[in-house]
Amino acid sequence: MSTAASSASRQQILDRIRAATRTSSNGSAQFVEDHAALPRNYVRSGKLTTEARIALMIERLREYDAEVLESTPENLVASIRAQLAASGKRTFVLPQGLPVDWLVSGFDWKVDNGLATADIEQAEGVVSAAFCGVADSGTIVLHHSPTEGRRVLTLLPDWHLCILRGSQVVETLPEYFDRCKRPPAFHPSDGDLSLGTPALVTWISGPSATADIEMTRIKGVHGPRFLHVIMVRDDI
Amino acid sequence: MSQSVANHPVLDPLLAPPFPQAALPMLRNPQLRTNVAHAIDVIQAKRFRLVNEKTDWQELRDAASAIRAESLRNLGFYLVQFETQCTAAGGTVHWASDATEARQIILDLLRQENASEVIKIKTMTSAEIQLNPFLQAAGVDVFETDLAEIILQLGDDEPSHIVVPALHVNRSQVREIFARRMGLDNLSDDPQALTAAARTYLRQKFLKIPTAISGANFLIAETGSVVVVESEGNGRMCLTLPRTMITIAGIEKVLPRFQDLEVMLQVLARSATGERMNPYTSLWTGVTPGDGPQSFHVVLLDNQRSSILARPVERQTLKCIRCAACMNTCPVYRQTGGHAYGSVYPGPIGAILTPQLMQMHHAQSLPFASSLCGACYEVCPVKINIPEVLIELRSQVVNQERHQFASIFDPMFLGMKIANLLFQKAWRFHLAQRLGRIGARLFTRKDGWIHSLPSLGAKWTQTRDLRALPSQTFHEWWAARAKEAR
Repeated sequence: MSTAASSASRQQILDRIRAATRTSSNGSAQFVEDHAALPRNYVRSGKLTTEARIALMIERLREYDAEVLESTPENLVASIRAQLAASGKRTFVLPQGLPVDWLVSGFDWKVDNGLATADIEQAEGVVSAAFCGVADSGTIVLHHSPTEGRRVLTLLPDWHLCILRGSQVVETLPEYFDRCKRPPAFHPSDGDLSLGTPALVTWISGPSATADIEMTRIKGVHGPRFLHVIMVRDDI
Repeated sequence: MSQSVANHPVLDPLLAPPFPQAALPMLRNPQLRTNVAHAIDVIQAKRFRLVNEKTDWQELRDAASAIRAESLRNLGFYLVQFETQCTAAGGTVHWASDATEARQIILDLLRQENASEVIKIKTMTSAEIQLNPFLQAAGVDVFETDLAEIILQLGDDEPSHIVVPALHVNRSQVREIFARRMGLDNLSDDPQALTAAARTYLRQKFLKIPTAISGANFLIAETGSVVVVESEGNGRMCLTLPRTMITIAGIEKVLPRFQDLEVMLQVLARSATGERMNPYTSLWTGVTPGDGPQSFHVVLLDNQRSSILARPVERQTLKCIRCAACMNTCPVYRQTGGHAYGSVYPGPIGAILTPQLMQMHHAQSLPFASSLCGACYEVCPVKINIPEVLIELRSQVVNQERHQFASIFDPMFLGMKIANLLFQKAWRFHLAQRLGRIGARLFTRKDGWIHSLPSLGAKWTQTRDLRALPSQTFHEWWAARAKEAR
């Protein structure tokens, strides 16, 4: 391992950068000020009504070929059952933090208490919650908390059912970032990062896709080919 | 099969022929031009639609540009902050002055892991340091996992675009490559079938190979996080399944804050692929117990970036977020494709970045591979004034050449010196005009046009006609008019 060489290079690179920018490594207050003064005149907050915001989220998800079903909170378990039954699949994995009543009968469930990769790979589908939905781009954001699961869990199975609550849906991407400023209920690195920023994030905008061959959009290269969303209307 | 696949393109600026020479075979390859034009038309149409639907596009560009400029202004501070935070989160940060150091650091890490195989997420930075051939020569098998990169790797080809690197290859060419290299004789040329073949080919590699290499779209100073933007999920596979992850990133990739992504993610996908958001974006911070690689290394690469940073006009080159909007809109790139640029970074951004990475010792023809139309500046989401940098670099190239002894005999410099003399005094200029008129008569045809000039002038008349010089200059006309009035 070239540790000594790397540390010599480190000094050399930083010296060159400081000479180029005529700054020292101190004075972090100045940088905070510099950064706060940058122009940010883009749209921060959405203007849509709740109903229109949810409708936009659903429309954008459908544009990505995701299947979306609306459900009342009371009806959620029945909705999950219906989606699973319609999938024609049997074995499902799910994160350990989800309510036990989501494990509807008639299917093989593997709860992730440290499942081996091979077990996840063999599962036909996965059910998870989400941290946030961004209507403007139809994006589902996972912070990989115990209800959203480890990253591998929502990656290997070919079929992903994501339970998104209406109250989690924001209109614009900046509104999602505003939500991250609040201290999250759970943090994978145990509050190590005091600003409330997540240590792990996956932004999902439709199922895995490629356009590498003649710009023809093909669904499902490596991630799940099928994305289903149950939109739980806890916002009404 | 297209010529570019048959003849291995040279993307090493030390070895590549000058742009005008490299462009010729591309211009004479109708298949390649059709493929490039088709791909670009599709991306451009999508981008146009999605940029237009954004009511705050210009404000987003202003913010993106300001954020990137500020990152560079305080780069030393932010890099150290990134290092501190990444290290605190369980990652290890390495610093590489140049390509040689970066390759050696990566190889040493792989040797520590006893890795004989490695999976890779598409990274142009690794192509810049020519990592793959180096690792292969050191006995490490490298498997690219991005569909376009597989097409190139199996087809023994090189990237011609920084976002869709195989856009110069069409479906039947992909079919031929996959059939031959994966042993699938009955493969159809349907993109769906071709994609499925790649999925099967890679699945076992993802599950089996415990070491991965990635690039980075952004490094977040405040948290020590790394961001990778992708479409296919191969990135997520590489970021999640292996034991060890090595990320190589240019030092300019740093963003001050997590929240800066609210701007960058909005402009990047729209500019790059004409999507509101790319299918998958991943952010991770060091090592997370129980989730993903438990050993994580970042290699920060300088490779001339700090010297670009020191130059006031050229510094903006480093704002680039590698969206490729400039090449998609460039009339020159559209005709030649990417290989003519003789670098892994083609198009307008390549034309300014490559010669600077070479300290202006190589690739000096690239700043001239532009009509200076300004389309690249107009679409750039971080507002890099590429024409301004092109002109600055052109003047540097000319200055280099001017001071070479051979320039005494160079017709261009000779012509410039003569012009310099002529323009110094009005009488010299008028005399030159009169002589020129007499001389030009020899070449003017009856239709009043000059169709061909001898020697150097032929370079101009090869592709255009010239009007004959008028029988009177403006000055002569003015003087004659004054005389008549008297």
